[in-house]
Amino acid sequence: MKALLRRPSVWAFICIVLAGIFGPRLLGGSPSDTVGAPFARPAWLGASLSSSKTIELKCSGDRVSVLGAGFAESGGPKAENGSAEFDWNSQPPAIFALEGKIAADPALTATVVWSTPKGDFELARLTGREQYWLNLDARDMMFKRSLGLPLIGQAVADLFPSAGRYALRVSGAHSYSLKLSLPGRRQGLLGTDQRGRDVFALLLSGISTSLTVGISATLAATLLGLGFGLTAGYAGGLTDALIMRAVDVLLAIPTLPILMTLAGLWGKGLWQLVLILSIFSWMGTARSVRALTLSVREQPWVEGLRALGAKRGYILWRHLVPETAPILLANLALGVPGAVLSEAGLAFLGLSDPRLISWGRMLHEAHSFGAFTEGAWWLILPPGLGIVALCLIFMDIGRFLEEKIDPRLGGKDHA
Amino acid sequence: MKRSWLLRRVLASLLVLICVLVLNFALFRVMPGDAVSTIIDPNFSPEAKERLRALYGLDRPMLEQFFIYLKQMLTFRFGLSFLSRRPVWDELLSRLPGTITLMSLSMAASAALGIWLGVKSAVRRGSWIEKLVLRAGAVMSSFPGFFVQLVLLMLLARDFPIFPLRGSVSVPPPAGGWALLADRLWHLSLPVLSLTLMGFGGWALYVRNLMVRALGEDFVLMARARGLSPRSVVYGHAFRTILPPIVTILLMSVPGLVSGAVITETVFSLRGVGAFLLEALSGHDYPAAGASFYLLALITVSCNLLADVVYGLVDPRVRIEGVNR
Repeated sequence: MKALLRRPSVWAFICIVLAGIFGPRLLGGSPSDTVGAPFARPAWLGASLSSSKTIELKCSGDRVSVLGAGFAESGGPKAENGSAEFDWNSQPPAIFALEGKIAADPALTATVVWSTPKGDFELARLTGREQYWLNLDARDMMFKRSLGLPLIGQAVADLFPSAGRYALRVSGAHSYSLKLSLPGRRQGLLGTDQRGRDVFALLLSGISTSLTVGISATLAATLLGLGFGLTAGYAGGLTDALIMRAVDVLLAIPTLPILMTLAGLWGKGLWQLVLILSIFSWMGTARSVRALTLSVREQPWVEGLRALGAKRGYILWRHLVPETAPILLANLALGVPGAVLSEAGLAFLGLSDPRLISWGRMLHEAHSFGAFTEGAWWLILPPGLGIVALCLIFMDIGRFLEEKIDPRLGGKDHA
Repeated sequence: MKRSWLLRRVLASLLVLICVLVLNFALFRVMPGDAVSTIIDPNFSPEAKERLRALYGLDRPMLEQFFIYLKQMLTFRFGLSFLSRRPVWDELLSRLPGTITLMSLSMAASAALGIWLGVKSAVRRGSWIEKLVLRAGAVMSSFPGFFVQLVLLMLLARDFPIFPLRGSVSVPPPAGGWALLADRLWHLSLPVLSLTLMGFGGWALYVRNLMVRALGEDFVLMARARGLSPRSVVYGHAFRTILPPIVTILLMSVPGLVSGAVITETVFSLRGVGAFLLEALSGHDYPAAGASFYLLALITVSCNLLADVVYGLVDPRVRIEGVNR
């Protein structure tokens, strides 16, 4: 046990489990929430790229308030006569989106103006009603047409022509609450995906999927293998022949196509996946358990037990199962990488629940939804390396357990 | 004596094949929802559905249906694809060469590289080659193939556009036989390279272990004592004895290759049976899905049979053991 704790992989495993349990909670919010622009780079990369900004401009009665995150670097905003002013020195943001409501006198005309160092844009001219809802997005064709901007191309480049002082001004309204979102081209620890979700949050929630599927599928497969292996080894004869034939047949069926077919036909939920994976991965364990049972069965002490009138169930449960425990433990650890890889493979092929966040699913979405044209390596490396790390950790623990069981395997000489 | 051994192997393969057929039959009928909808296009009118039910024999007892299905499968008459409305067999036949080429090229490349490295590392124990083989063999199995392929694709097809990003052939395909062949090979090179990268580690490790054991045998010592050249000792004596297990593993690696081909075809958008299976599954094209699964299983089973036969031919002990049992 002490030797196990000296293994770095055990500590890495504990860290991953903790990150999987507490990470999503510490981050708060759902990982499927859109937090920024699509394909934003990691925040620590490319300082010239814009980071996200949100400005809230509110006015009720006489009080005008401006709320905004990230103003420290660009000078404080000034709230004068219903305007929010700020400096913008980096490249244009990815998205320019303004939403909120404005209340005004129907007889008057209210305007919302976006003022840039190179000229003003009148975003909205409102008249004839008491309440207006605004929902403007610079990617919108109607928005571009109303401002006279080219319909094809990035409107944000025109809205942010140069570095300098920018302002959002509202006039002619008596109360309003506007929110200007300027998601940047860099966001979060690991950027965002095609839907603007935080990749780091997705990565953390993927841990629990991989671990749940990997461990429970292997556990189920190990129990199946134990059951079939014990039965085959102890009963012998026809039962043995039938089970071993079944093992041969299952081993001869190409794994991925049958898993794909089952997942495609039976449904793609988490537990269906666990069931499918365990049905097709118990054979190895069954073989080794059977071999062990065959050798133990013939030993004198088992014969003695039989002579003393011990029931078959008692011998199996109290004596043979404990004998197989070390093999099972090692098989369990060594089987997890296979299950994790299969789950990731199926999810990568799109044969998993789209609502279930998993590393394979992340790679699937990166592959199908244009991560390549964006060169979004931050969508590919984190989940891929996560899978690799998890597999290496379990391989290492498994090999360690194997060496404990059979010290001949240890050392550097594998021959 | 040889005939009875061969018969046993063929029977074992037939058993696997029958299981696959039963599984395939059951899977596509015992699934959630209306069993008829797996065979009949849901867009048809009720009368047309009834007529098709009769035509496909779905109103008959299960056992009779099974035998009809068996006949269809054994004669490769899989019916029409829901998606393309063409015979499934034609669709599969047009995709089979791509899959076979991909699988055989990558198998040959990874086996050749792996065997060469494995022998080298067994001969020069403790060298950097051996360290590389031990490391690569242990680590590579933890890398998901599609992840490695995605990274390679990003590096070598997007950032440094040496290889094509997708497809089995350029659009439009180049004119002329040789140009077309070269274009196809160019499109296959990155998939084969990635599969080789994934596969050689296991091969090298396996060959190294076999070779280390073979080199410790008495006949190798004897050959050395006779003053034969190191090359002759290694390749003429030691390597020859490990050929039978190598041939077996070569053919036994086919199931893994089938899985690898499915993923690879998807990543690189190649035209092949694996990608077709995925398309059919996601498009609810059940005749096509069933047929492609059957075909992939058929490839696997026949390669396993071939492995047994070849092993028996190379190593007579197997045949004799088969008789004694």
